[in-house]
Amino acid sequence: MFVYALKRLAVAVPTFIAVLLITFTLTVVSPFDPVAMMMTQFEGTLDTLAREEVIERIRDQYGLNDSYWVQFTRWIGRLSQGDLGISINGQRDVLRMIVKTFPISFQLGLAGAVVTTILGIPLGCLAALRQNTWLDYTIVGGTLGFRTVPVFVLAPLLLVLFVLVLDIMRVPRGWDGLFQSKVILPVFILALGPLPVVVRQTRAAVLEVFSMDYVRTAKMKGLHMWRIILRHILRNALIPVVTTLGFIAEGLIVGSIFLDSIFAIPGFGGVAEAGFRGFDYPVIMGVTMVSAIMIILTNLLVDLVYPFLDPRIKIE
Amino acid sequence: MSESSESVANGSLGEELAGEGALQTRSLWKDAVGRLLRNRLSVIGLIITIMLLIAALFGPYIAPYTYTEQDLLNVAKMPSADHWLGTDEIGRDLFSRVLWGARTATLVAIFTTFISVIIGVIIGAIAGYGGALADNITGRIIDIVMSVPGLLLAALIAVSIKEPVVSWAENIYDTTGFPLFADTTWLDLLVVFGGLAFVSWPGYARLIRGQIFSLREEQYIEAAKSVGVSELKIALRHLLPNAIGPVIVTLTFSFSSAMVLESSLSYLGIGVQPPQASWGNMIASNIGSWSYRPWLVAVPAITLAFVTLGINFLGDGLNDALNPRAKRSI
Repeated sequence: MFVYALKRLAVAVPTFIAVLLITFTLTVVSPFDPVAMMMTQFEGTLDTLAREEVIERIRDQYGLNDSYWVQFTRWIGRLSQGDLGISINGQRDVLRMIVKTFPISFQLGLAGAVVTTILGIPLGCLAALRQNTWLDYTIVGGTLGFRTVPVFVLAPLLLVLFVLVLDIMRVPRGWDGLFQSKVILPVFILALGPLPVVVRQTRAAVLEVFSMDYVRTAKMKGLHMWRIILRHILRNALIPVVTTLGFIAEGLIVGSIFLDSIFAIPGFGGVAEAGFRGFDYPVIMGVTMVSAIMIILTNLLVDLVYPFLDPRIKIE
Repeated sequence: MSESSESVANGSLGEELAGEGALQTRSLWKDAVGRLLRNRLSVIGLIITIMLLIAALFGPYIAPYTYTEQDLLNVAKMPSADHWLGTDEIGRDLFSRVLWGARTATLVAIFTTFISVIIGVIIGAIAGYGGALADNITGRIIDIVMSVPGLLLAALIAVSIKEPVVSWAENIYDTTGFPLFADTTWLDLLVVFGGLAFVSWPGYARLIRGQIFSLREEQYIEAAKSVGVSELKIALRHLLPNAIGPVIVTLTFSFSSAMVLESSLSYLGIGVQPPQASWGNMIASNIGSWSYRPWLVAVPAITLAFVTLGINFLGDGLNDALNPRAKRSI
């Protein structure tokens, strides 16, 4: 087990380093020049010659004239101390912006993941049990449909439907904790994104388990259908569903980028969206890296938990 | 399209000339078309896709106004006889803008799909033919690209390369005076293509690699090899025709996801810039007023939803039609 965990880590770490490398390389070609930004405060006080010299001095001082690799290792050193830089718009610490908003998005994301699971597993089972009937097609086609429609399309349409046409809710805005009725719509929309993956995976797994000998034996023993499903099928079918956690994490992150501003939720996605809108380079980089870490960690967790759930998996 | 040209070609050959091979090809495609048309959802998808293509090609001729034309006497009006879908907050005709948006979306989707297919096929072929080491390296690269959410990576790339691309174009214009580089609006599109293509090629690379590996084990490939047919000829004559089905299906799906990504980038203000019409930036600029001018958001949103759904229905139908042996692969 220990060797297996090490092996998994040995895959995750280089992936992360490569993500850092890509992000850093993009900053090198990026339009964002910190020195030019600093020079704006000297605007009009220096003549051209002095200006050039000051720029050169600043570049030296901050090591911007060093080679690519020297700069890269220095950047990694700063990252490891939690220094993600300072935002262009508002001059705020990027790490603090993310840390402050993250718990809200984490709660929303967790709620979304729970709703996805609660909806997805029964729907997947139902689709499998009624395989190739209209119910199966409706469930699979319907959830797939919602997935292809982006959040920024679904959210305003559902708002128009629920608030203006049906008039059954007030405009949900802001964040007062997770257990508020205004959270229902955002969480539901978040949950719809990764839902079809869970439904498909459950459906396929149930279909596979269904043809197993022990299920046939249970049927012949005359066990009640629901007992077979709960005791024999679901237990084995749930294992592959765990592998979808990575997709769920990605769906939740991307979803929250669009959702937060529409529902005025002060979350991680809102920081990302504001960063993109303002071409705020340090923020965009910070957000991208944190998302990549989240997804890599989720996948690592899945890899580590999987052998415990399914003892048949061989651990070399 | 290719089915019809196939059958026309076969028809002109004449009945007596139609040998064994010709008959087979014809019935395969005919079969596929038949299966596709039998599925009600995929017919709906096909109709929506055709409507999209018509809108993209002839939209500017159908549209009663241009995408920038303002009717200042009718600002933010509900749908009427003059303006079928109403006007937006600065008096532009919404129906016309949706039609122009169809052109933007289709253009981006076609180019992105085209670029990422080329990259994906090359990388996939390297992985499939280059031996274990090449396969490992390309596999790692694909893992890395896929570990960052596609939208975030595309946005990061688009933001990073935008300035360099624009200054590069300005340089070219300054030195050559080539009129193409005078106007930089199309560069927005170029930047979007680049970002999107970079995140979409891994899917194709995996698909091609998988096809090469699985088809290679087939007996007819082995037979061809044993009689001394060259690798290149096997790839062109046997691998390519057999892999075309899954590739067409993937093309359809990634066409719609490229559209969604384009409108997502435009929604975030990175992609297509106003006043150019994109469904994404149309939604973005009106989302704040959804509660009192709902149609301004609803029209582009419903259009985008319908188009992506339609193309995906078509993809599902094609999947069933082109893989008759596989059971409905859900």
